[in-house]
Amino acid sequence: MKSISIKKGFKLPLSGLPDISAIQLPEPETIAVSAMDIPYIRPKLLVKQGDLVKTGTSLFCDKKNKSILYLSPGTGRVKQILFGPRRKLIEVVIDLNKNQDKNEAFVKFDTLTLKTIKAVPRTTLIKHLQDGGLWQCFRQLPAKDTADENLTPAMIIVSLNGNDPFSPHPQVVLDNETRYFEFGLKVLQQLVKKIVVTCRKDSLTRLNGCKPFITHVVPDTYPAWDPGTVLYKLKRSEKENNSWCISAEHLVLVAKLLLDGRYPVKRVITVTRSDDKKPHIITRQGAPVKDLIGQMDTTGIITTGRFNGRSVNPDSHLGFFENTLNIIHDNDGDEMFGFILPGLSKPTVSKTFLSCLTSTPKDLDCTIHGEERACINCGYCTKICPIDLAPNFIMKALHADDIEDALGFGLLDCVRCGLCSFTCPSKIELTKLLSDGMDAHFKDKE
Amino acid sequence: MNPLKKFLNSTEKHFTGSGKLNRFEPLFDATKTFFFFPSPKVKHTPFVRDNLDLKRYMSFVIIALLPVLIFGMYNTGLQSGLAKGETYTIFKSLLTGARFVVPIIIVTYAVGFFWETVFASIRGHKISEGLLVTGLLFPLTLPATIPLWQVALGISFGVVIGKEVFGGTGRNILNPALTGRAFLYFSYPVSLSGNIWVAGNPAVDGVSSATALAIVAREGQTITSALSDAGFSLYNLFFGFIPGAIGETSAFCCLLGAVFLMITRIANFRIIIGGISGLILTSLVFYLIPGGNDSWLNAGPLYHLSAGGFLFGISFMATDPVSAPGTNPGRWIFGFLIGFFTIVIRVANPAFVEGIMLSILFMNVFSPLLDHMVIRYTTSKRIPNV
Ligand code: SF4
Ligand code: SF4
Repeated sequence: MKSISIKKGFKLPLSGLPDISAIQLPEPETIAVSAMDIPYIRPKLLVKQGDLVKTGTSLFCDKKNKSILYLSPGTGRVKQILFGPRRKLIEVVIDLNKNQDKNEAFVKFDTLTLKTIKAVPRTTLIKHLQDGGLWQCFRQLPAKDTADENLTPAMIIVSLNGNDPFSPHPQVVLDNETRYFEFGLKVLQQLVKKIVVTCRKDSLTRLNGCKPFITHVVPDTYPAWDPGTVLYKLKRSEKENNSWCISAEHLVLVAKLLLDGRYPVKRVITVTRSDDKKPHIITRQGAPVKDLIGQMDTTGIITTGRFNGRSVNPDSHLGFFENTLNIIHDNDGDEMFGFILPGLSKPTVSKTFLSCLTSTPKDLDCTIHGEERACINCGYCTKICPIDLAPNFIMKALHADDIEDALGFGLLDCVRCGLCSFTCPSKIELTKLLSDGMDAHFKDKE
Repeated sequence: MNPLKKFLNSTEKHFTGSGKLNRFEPLFDATKTFFFFPSPKVKHTPFVRDNLDLKRYMSFVIIALLPVLIFGMYNTGLQSGLAKGETYTIFKSLLTGARFVVPIIIVTYAVGFFWETVFASIRGHKISEGLLVTGLLFPLTLPATIPLWQVALGISFGVVIGKEVFGGTGRNILNPALTGRAFLYFSYPVSLSGNIWVAGNPAVDGVSSATALAIVAREGQTITSALSDAGFSLYNLFFGFIPGAIGETSAFCCLLGAVFLMITRIANFRIIIGGISGLILTSLVFYLIPGGNDSWLNAGPLYHLSAGGFLFGISFMATDPVSAPGTNPGRWIFGFLIGFFTIVIRVANPAFVEGIMLSILFMNVFSPLLDHMVIRYTTSKRIPNV
């Protein structure tokens, strides 16, 4: 087990760490597959409203590669297909059959065993995964788009920790799944030569079964466990830029699909709220947000990752890639002389509030704390960027439409962690600007 | 609801949209956000944001300047009393000093805000907090006797030419306060250079006396003894009980501010430490070179550090992030060279005895280049990803 050292990043202790215990949520009435959390997808629907679907029926595919399927995580009837502006698919909602239990109807897939996996050709294996609706678990850096099946990447990074500081604890996710996890690694061996398994330092102590498989430990600084950050620290040549990544939870799903021949639907979710310590929730993929959060008593927002997720409304459903909900409260409105108060309770990564002297967990709200101004070149964004970018210079290059310069400065290494926007005293939407710049570049390349 | 907030809310309609006073919207907005800290909801990822904003950032510079300002007022009064052969009490010194200093500050802010409002209205954006700092830095670099019309002219030049023609705060290359001060220096040298006027009783007008940096020793005398003969002992120079520009005399107060700014990370310590070490090293080199006993060549690091406006400049002017480099190696070089040039100008060019102002402006011009070189270098070290 090696340690990766990452000096920069977000080190403030936050309040609202979920409890390590887990509860089972009762079956929801509706579930859905959302298209909102799938990067770069151009969905093509394969069902109509009113269709009967089983667990494992294809609901939509990706126009860019029609063999990438998104399957129904439950048996029932398509209740509604929601579209946004310009008929952009939002989600396919399914009314679950009542009394879904052990003998719920499901689509049967071919299975593999520990013995047969060694002999399966790569293409067949990939086909298995695509049919089983899980190929998209493999993401390809730097864009984190669905992995290109024709590419043999230099390495694959398996992350035990999710996108948010309070994503589910790997111990809860991998509880009793060691067998699957191990099989998953065998599957990866068929696809990639070098496998990197990373885990946060503080998750390590509680971890039992899967601990021996971890190759690299990363510090507890957000976003040290992001595969992009790990790749930045590990890569030695340009060839490794297009490495793949997968989350440990998804790897277990892959293993379950191949071993059991059935589309796996169990998910572990965390719901976090400051000054609260909720247990982990075991539920079905695509559960409704309102079932998960319970009563929403604030005017705040719900996100699927406070730094890098999306904001969801209580009536929507959790996406395929999402496993955490943060309820972030609003603040009490404009504060008199707010800019000069000592700020004992105001979290900051700077040294300008008294709060920086205390180590109590901090409570961040969902407001900007100020107004947008021109960049003053203070360098705070550079100081926090985990992968040593200078976001302010990249931003200026993008403003000047100088994509060559921006790429040269390392734009594509950006892991979209959101920390530059977080820290900028001029409140510039750096992450958005960089992210849009990257997306425009990928689009051009296509 | 807070009555002030009620008032602001009820008057808002006159300033926004097609209200009668909509030309003054930036001014209204600045007033409103001064009293009530704005904090709208986040629209894009990340959904949480740091509490530090530019208002607080800039206010911290003001806080760091307070000791300098208060001592500056006190010293102005004290010197004015000394010139008349009296020793004022602390209170009287402060009061006398305030009579000279406060009008200068008021004129600076009024004229500065006027230009900011004009440009903010034209460009349709908000008044930048940068002016808060510029408007206090500028007066502190002036002698208390400066005519107020020159103050108005100087700050106008600083804000308009030093900042707004480049596109406003964030785009300026030069430090606006220093630009204004340099303008006055070259246009009205009598008011600013060589002999500094000690603020006197309005009836008596000013009394002139040489600044420490203009002192040259007599035959066979060392510079340090010549300095103490003229009342510039190291103690006086360091604590600032000498005639000079309002804010620049006390090295001690500037150091206090510098330490505060470095601890709160508002100023980058690399610039300050780099500058001080540049000054110390360079003056040490000159000190060790034989000869020149009677001039500032041989004054040594401590005198150089304490005399003139060096510590004021390096702590408050050079650390203005907009006109300084944004990369760490760039900052070290920037600071170091300011220290270096300050000494070189001081000892080599008797015409401009005060080197700090020119060195900062000179290095301001080079900071984009420094940044460019550093970024090129770090980029070349990255594994390309295109
Ligand atoms: S540029 Fe910003 S979003 Fe990208 S990795 Fe750096 S801090 Fe994170
Ligand atoms: S943190 Fe914001 S203001 Fe500071 S350099 Fe970066 S972009 Fe500019």
